[in-house]
Amino acid sequence: MSYLSVNAVTAGYGRQNVIERISFDLESGHLMGIIGANGSGKTTLLKALCGILPHGGTCSLEGAVLENLSARQMARLVSYIPQRSGIAIDISALDVVLMGFNPYLGLLEHPTRKMKEAAMEALTRVGLAGKEETNYLHLSEGQKQLCILARTLVSDSRLLLLDEPESALDFRYRHQMLSLLRSWVAAGNRSAVVTLHDPALALNFCDRLLLLADGGVLGIIEPKTDPLDKMEQMLNHVYGDISLQRCYNRRGEEQIVMLREDAL
Amino acid sequence: MKPSTISLTAKAKYYCAAGATILIALAVAGLFVGKYPLSLEKLLAGDPMHWRVFLTLRLSRTVVGVVGGFALGVAGFVYQTVFRNPLASPDIIGVSSGASAGAAAGILFLSGSMAVTVSAFAGALLAVVFALALSGLDRSGKNSTIVLAGIAVHSLAQTALMCLKLTADPERELASIEYWIMGSLNGISVYSIGGNLILCVVCLGILFLLHRQVILLSAEEGEARMLGVNVGALRLAVLLVATLVVASVVSLSGLISFVGLLAPHGARLLTKHNRIGTMLLSGLTGSVLLCGADILARSVAATELPVSIFTSILGAPFLIFLIVRGRKQL
Amino acid sequence: MKKLISLLLVLTMLLTLAACGQTGKNEEVTPAATEAAAPETEAAVPETEAALPETEAPVTHYPVTVTDHAGREVVIEEEPQKLVSGYYISTSLLIALDLDEKLVGIEAKANKRAIYALAAPELIDLPNVGTAKEFDLEGCAALEPDLVILPIKLKGAVETLEGLGIDVLLVNPENQELLTGMIHMIAAATNTEEKAAALLGFTMEQETMLRAAMSGAETPSVYLAGNSSLLSTAGNAMYQSDMIRLAGGANVAAEIEDTYWVEIDYEQLLTWNPDYIILASDATYTVEDVLADPNLADCAAVVNGNVYQLPNKAEAWDSPVPSGILGALWLANVLHGDLLTDADCADRIDEYYETFYDFTYSES
Repeated sequence: MSYLSVNAVTAGYGRQNVIERISFDLESGHLMGIIGANGSGKTTLLKALCGILPHGGTCSLEGAVLENLSARQMARLVSYIPQRSGIAIDISALDVVLMGFNPYLGLLEHPTRKMKEAAMEALTRVGLAGKEETNYLHLSEGQKQLCILARTLVSDSRLLLLDEPESALDFRYRHQMLSLLRSWVAAGNRSAVVTLHDPALALNFCDRLLLLADGGVLGIIEPKTDPLDKMEQMLNHVYGDISLQRCYNRRGEEQIVMLREDAL
Repeated sequence: MKPSTISLTAKAKYYCAAGATILIALAVAGLFVGKYPLSLEKLLAGDPMHWRVFLTLRLSRTVVGVVGGFALGVAGFVYQTVFRNPLASPDIIGVSSGASAGAAAGILFLSGSMAVTVSAFAGALLAVVFALALSGLDRSGKNSTIVLAGIAVHSLAQTALMCLKLTADPERELASIEYWIMGSLNGISVYSIGGNLILCVVCLGILFLLHRQVILLSAEEGEARMLGVNVGALRLAVLLVATLVVASVVSLSGLISFVGLLAPHGARLLTKHNRIGTMLLSGLTGSVLLCGADILARSVAATELPVSIFTSILGAPFLIFLIVRGRKQL
Repeated sequence: MKKLISLLLVLTMLLTLAACGQTGKNEEVTPAATEAAAPETEAAVPETEAALPETEAPVTHYPVTVTDHAGREVVIEEEPQKLVSGYYISTSLLIALDLDEKLVGIEAKANKRAIYALAAPELIDLPNVGTAKEFDLEGCAALEPDLVILPIKLKGAVETLEGLGIDVLLVNPENQELLTGMIHMIAAATNTEEKAAALLGFTMEQETMLRAAMSGAETPSVYLAGNSSLLSTAGNAMYQSDMIRLAGGANVAAEIEDTYWVEIDYEQLLTWNPDYIILASDATYTVEDVLADPNLADCAAVVNGNVYQLPNKAEAWDSPVPSGILGALWLANVLHGDLLTDADCADRIDEYYETFYDFTYSES
């Protein structure tokens, strides 16, 4: 039995199905990337997984069927970071992070001192030390993403769902965020699913890649073990004529880069 | 009511203290401004007539000014936060128009001293329950659905009000309806406020206890859900409690414009935060505004003037001042 | 554009008047007259031989020109046979002038006016032409009346009605003087000056009697509570204040100069501490409500049980209606039972309704 098992999930808006019968498995300690063209159903899949969107099919995490959980139980197991947080009121970054403790607090309880310390620590971990009292709305889009990531970290869930977390981040923060994710996934009995725009980033950081096209699964890539030409072939369906190269940085660490092959 | 568990930021604390000081000053002034020539000497001498006027009329009017303003400010804060709309006010889900229609029906068809209060209260509640039930038809449970349902109910209530006005006798009932809609604290005495006041204070207490949830509701539906918030039920509960707060005040005083809209804005512009301190400051701002307006309403002219005139006259410049000040700081 | 047209109309009218010349009448062109904008009727009537009615016996010689409360000059060619009244005050007057037979349409909610049921029950079944808020133009025109009497609020309907060849008089009886004016105006238009003189004579007579009876008497303080609520009252400039004065009382709200009902608070009422609290005829609350109001427990009027409501058996005497003087009589009896006894007061009220409305008030 897999850690996360997604079985024939179908979802959409209104009567129109955006994704049809998507199934995949994910092991604990793994980071899964979802890539695909715009409109291929990446966000829809994430929303269906976390139960925001009504859907057919089932998802189970360690044997627990997610569809049967209450909002509170769900929030303890699964965290979701949307592309943009809907927070639109003046509120400090620390308060935003403290929201992450909500699944562990009673209706009338308030965050404890310990929780506050944990929240400060999480902010430091994502690189927002010293921004605790800053108005969330005054942060840059990238900083907002990091702040929401910190909120997710404190909630200590078992499955993390992220929707294009890199989209508003610059080069340095992108890599910082993804390595943070990887270390978070590796640190315990947990896993994460992340949709990504940037295929190179996905290839370098994820253990498995789910390739979506037109609401269905095109294939699964395992960047660490699959041969380059097989991966190229599959990515061709999404990104057109491309090639992959293994490069090495000065420390000799391998990175995969993607190059365009079609004429401009 | 002052919560001690959550520490306010220093700024919010400072403003709350300032607000509370002004409020106390206004409330004390309010106790000694009015048509009946109350004097401290006579009160101290134990003049029974003076004491009776003081206790039954002056004190209750001042208390309603303080609590009512506080309630409208806090409810405004809650509405604006939950709907994530800075223009949200009790009217957005039909509270005020429901209360008006209820009051009009009470004036036309019922008799007895508490009839209008009770039927205004029922009207407000009915409108909101109807709006929320309507929004429940759309299972997606979006905020925008509630707002749309609110607008529908609001216009329905306005239509009902118009029909009631049409059947009203222009000399007496129509005049009563118009006066009620303009809002005033002039008929308030200790005999008429008990139930409303208790309900209002209890509901305010609940809102303050739930303040963390109110802030959570300001996140997008899906996001709030993933934070473990049972969005649908919680939002329903918070809106109902906030509605009870408004209905309990409005059914006593008639419509009071601007306080629910302005007080939370003022508080936010001052504290630049949304915490319990801001909620408290919203309430204090509302209290100051309503108390000040009521003092003017009963003392400016030989007759009673509608209190809404003064909440607007006092409130608008204050809001403009805060906005201009905010610009400068940017 | 509108201004230009009205200017032209004024010029035309002035020329017409100048051409007619020597009418002996004091034709004043008020702005209101131009506003009324119905030039055909006025311009098309060159005959100005109509003598003023006040010369000898009060008989109207048609055509007659009357000036209504909007300042409009209305020429009435012959004695109107079909009347429409869109206002309860003018309707009541028409009954008093014995013209109820000629009425073909009246204002809405006629069944709520006790005086119609008592004096002219057939009126209740007449077609209604709407209220001051919602006037039924077509319904009114369909009745083919010769003369329509409307409250001044409905002046918007004038143009259309005159276009249909129907004469319209706008009335605004908001105080005693305007009421008297209205009585003269309608009487002149309908050839009922004799009856009108009798009606006004009755009022004059009672006024004179009251003044004489009350001279030198103490004036107890009176708080008049309005129709809409106990805390609304009438200031000095209002009709109701004159009524209190005539009845030998002092209006506690005399310091207020507003011309409409004003709101006060309990404190103000306790400060005034009136000897009497009088409720308006159509009050939505009762004498019992006031006596039981705990906020007024210390008020002199309540302590002494001096809380009364103006009768509403026939008409609201606290408003400027032809029978308004009866309100003063009734109040004088309440305030000064020794100076105007119950029996005397009742006789006078009976006399009024027997003379002008053909029923006996005390027996109804």
